[in-house]
Amino acid sequence: MTALQKNAWYNLGVIALTLCTIGVLIPVAGKGALGGFGFLGVLGLGPLFFRKRSGQVVLDERDRSIANLSWNFAFAIFWVVAVMFAALVSASVYGSDGAVPVWIVQSSVFVGMIVIYAMSSIAILVQYGRGAADGQ
Amino acid sequence: MGSNGKSESSIKNRIRRLRFDHDEMTQQQLADRVGVSRQTIIALEAGKYLPSLPLAFRLAATFGVRIEDVFQMQVPESETSA
Repeated sequence: MTALQKNAWYNLGVIALTLCTIGVLIPVAGKGALGGFGFLGVLGLGPLFFRKRSGQVVLDERDRSIANLSWNFAFAIFWVVAVMFAALVSASVYGSDGAVPVWIVQSSVFVGMIVIYAMSSIAILVQYGRGAADGQ
Repeated sequence: MGSNGKSESSIKNRIRRLRFDHDEMTQQQLADRVGVSRQTIIALEAGKYLPSLPLAFRLAATFGVRIEDVFQMQVPESETSA
């Protein structure tokens, strides 16, 4: 498994942990459960997977190509989701003259982050999955 | 930079053959020599990835052959008959 794959699995794990934490806390803490988004800060440890080790290639040109394509895909999805919620869902739920609650605006920042990291990680794993099986 | 496009299937390579002709070099040994991961060598041999030009030259240099001895373009019959 390459460093990029490990990082992708790590990202998905952190996101799953964050969503589970929020889901568990909501019944007892209400909106305070949104503090669970703080777990996303652990994503910042991802670069540790790319530490240089002597005599070992951590990230080569194919990995970079896969990473670039994955980020492009993730931002495209994020843009579609953001536009859909900003332009359609918010107006249909709160009305064109309504007001979006502050906690939703706050959460949308973290949800956007989750969408980008999750889509990017899934795209990375799918691209590696489409690659060749181990040979000789 | 390499590509994952449709043109991959039209370019074949003899990396696996050349490895075996060079004292049965392992994928890891070849990867270390050209500076990529073993997974990339696996993808190259399977025709799932087209290398960048610098990597293609490094591969050819490692085997001591010309670049066209490693990679060959497969021209469709419809183009050759025209």
